[in-house]
Amino acid sequence: MTVEDLADRSARARRDEEVDVVIVGAGPSGSVAALHLARAGVSVVVLEQGEWPDYADYTGARPEHELVSTKLWHPNPNVRDNPNDYPVDTSTTDINPLMFAGVGGSATLYGAQWMHFLPSDFRVRSMDGVAEDWPFTYEDLLPYQLEIEREVGVSGLAGDPAYPPRGAYPFPALPMGSVGQRGALGMERMGWHWWPGSNAIPSEKFGELNPCVRRGTCLTGCPEGAKSTTDRSHWPLALKAGARLVTRARVKEIETNEQGLATGVVYVDANGRDRRQRAKVVILCANGVGTPRLLLMSGGAGNPDGLANSSGMVGKRLMMHPFASVLASYRDPLDSWRGPFGQQVYSLEFYETDESRGFVRGSKWNCMPSGGPVGVSGATGSKVYVAESGRFQDFWGANLHENVARRFGHSLIWGIVGEDLPEESNRVVLSKDLVDSDGLPAPQIVYKVNENSNRLLKFNIDRCLESVRAAGAIETLVSTPVRESGWHLIGTTVMGDDPKRSVVDQWGACHDVPNLYVMDASTFPTSGATNPTATIMAVALRNTRRMIAERRNQKVA
Amino acid sequence: MSNQNTFFALADFLIPAHGKMPKFSDVCGYADVEKSLDFRVDLKPGFARGIAVDPANGAEARLESLNKEDSEAFSAITTIAIATYYMSPRVRELIGYPGQENVPYDSKATQFYLTDGSLGHVIARGRKYRPTPGL
Repeated sequence: MTVEDLADRSARARRDEEVDVVIVGAGPSGSVAALHLARAGVSVVVLEQGEWPDYADYTGARPEHELVSTKLWHPNPNVRDNPNDYPVDTSTTDINPLMFAGVGGSATLYGAQWMHFLPSDFRVRSMDGVAEDWPFTYEDLLPYQLEIEREVGVSGLAGDPAYPPRGAYPFPALPMGSVGQRGALGMERMGWHWWPGSNAIPSEKFGELNPCVRRGTCLTGCPEGAKSTTDRSHWPLALKAGARLVTRARVKEIETNEQGLATGVVYVDANGRDRRQRAKVVILCANGVGTPRLLLMSGGAGNPDGLANSSGMVGKRLMMHPFASVLASYRDPLDSWRGPFGQQVYSLEFYETDESRGFVRGSKWNCMPSGGPVGVSGATGSKVYVAESGRFQDFWGANLHENVARRFGHSLIWGIVGEDLPEESNRVVLSKDLVDSDGLPAPQIVYKVNENSNRLLKFNIDRCLESVRAAGAIETLVSTPVRESGWHLIGTTVMGDDPKRSVVDQWGACHDVPNLYVMDASTFPTSGATNPTATIMAVALRNTRRMIAERRNQKVA
Repeated sequence: MSNQNTFFALADFLIPAHGKMPKFSDVCGYADVEKSLDFRVDLKPGFARGIAVDPANGAEARLESLNKEDSEAFSAITTIAIATYYMSPRVRELIGYPGQENVPYDSKATQFYLTDGSLGHVIARGRKYRPTPGL
């Protein structure tokens, strides 16, 4: 039976049927929860506002790729303008949140860089005196990290001295192209840390995933079916285990009873009709913007601040990882359109706090190919490298040809991800003006890049320029902070032990509504500086295992 | 001047002949432009406005005007011009771009960094992480 057959067989629950668990969102965390709950014999319905991906729509192998992907596969829902997404009010933010609605979630458009958080990420208060420690440690989470890696099909090389010892990756590291070799050369000449990239892209056939062929279009959907997303890694197994998935189902409210317990959700179906899904337990996996949005929309007239918000923390402490990029061009050919795109090399040289640098916490760098001629021209598209004050003639005419000749096939990009410290002033609220295609209030982002992040990025850019020049760069272009860089949506329903200062406990259960859970990155107390998907999925697995083990003690309506 | 010729005038200013590289209209026909627009129907309104006015004072002045007064039209004209140009097989041949190609490899091949000592240097520099306190 194919995935398509299973998907067709999957259907919404019978009218008025109460299921054990309803999950909102079929992205990385919702997929993990659905698979493991279904395998444990729990009846599960997942409601996803987007649709199943159609791999024929991914244009990476076609000539029109650069033209089409800057619209159809743009990570900003406001640019993509797809009715399955909700718009985001970005009038009050320095950084735009990036996301995608569909089976597989925003990972549909991720780079598949696969990184664990480090031990210090879980102990920032104890070790650096900022923010809060997590309720659990790196060591507590590691077994779940390794189990998720096997489910996802990660490729990589163990032995990195930037991490505690760990087991082998499921698959060998993807080949390091000329881009990665040149990036590593610069780091080696500086005597700095680098390591071959770990990616959620198997280098060999794995279940429904095909081996990577280095197409280099990870960020705009993988036409090979090689980049690991849960529509291929988890859903075929979850459907076989009995989980049910309803697509084009936009949840508008979590319902509760007089005792304050969740009784299910109301969603708008593909035909615009309101439907109710009753459930003993509700799990939110709608990302760091969608989850607080839904809580703020819920609770009824008696709860103007939304549901599960007695702490007042729902929506607050949004972290998005301020980002910088450095493009470096070299005289030698680097075949810099070839993948893997996510990271051929990464560096954790500046990850840990060094107070002499003038900021706390640190950064992770990843070395990527620079892509096709349109992108590297700097003339149009993302405009990453076009200064607002620049003259258009600087990028056109003879300059266009010379820029492309110098950069195309000859350049690499270092991406610099900085840890984002939590601040209550950075938050998600409901827009008073903007609505989605069902008339529901859009989220509004209120976010400022803070001074610690500005200092962190400046320091790291300066170091990065030293590295690329050490490897012979003849041209460098810096962009910071990149407005279209809010890939990592973290912190808006923070976990903790104190119900007055946090929304959920360490298992994702809401303090105010014990049968309502959050299992996405909204619960993270701090952001680390690595790509969060590995940690999101591992925390979801840890929470799900706990829920299964304690199901007889679960308080329900 | 017809709308088609207006676009070619603008596109040839944006992408002129230079060294070994041909100008836009030497390698792209208007059918190629229309094909690009069919891929990006969202650009059609801006594109139409951009080519509706005869660039009587020259292509550069017209583009300058669009850039200041109608950024959507400027973006549509420039996006279609550059994307169509670099989709041209002749242009791709000249810059050595095979497209986003499939590159088979042996996943079990020994990587260079394991034998040339470079990764050994990283390992020799020692532990980078700070362990969890108390463990």
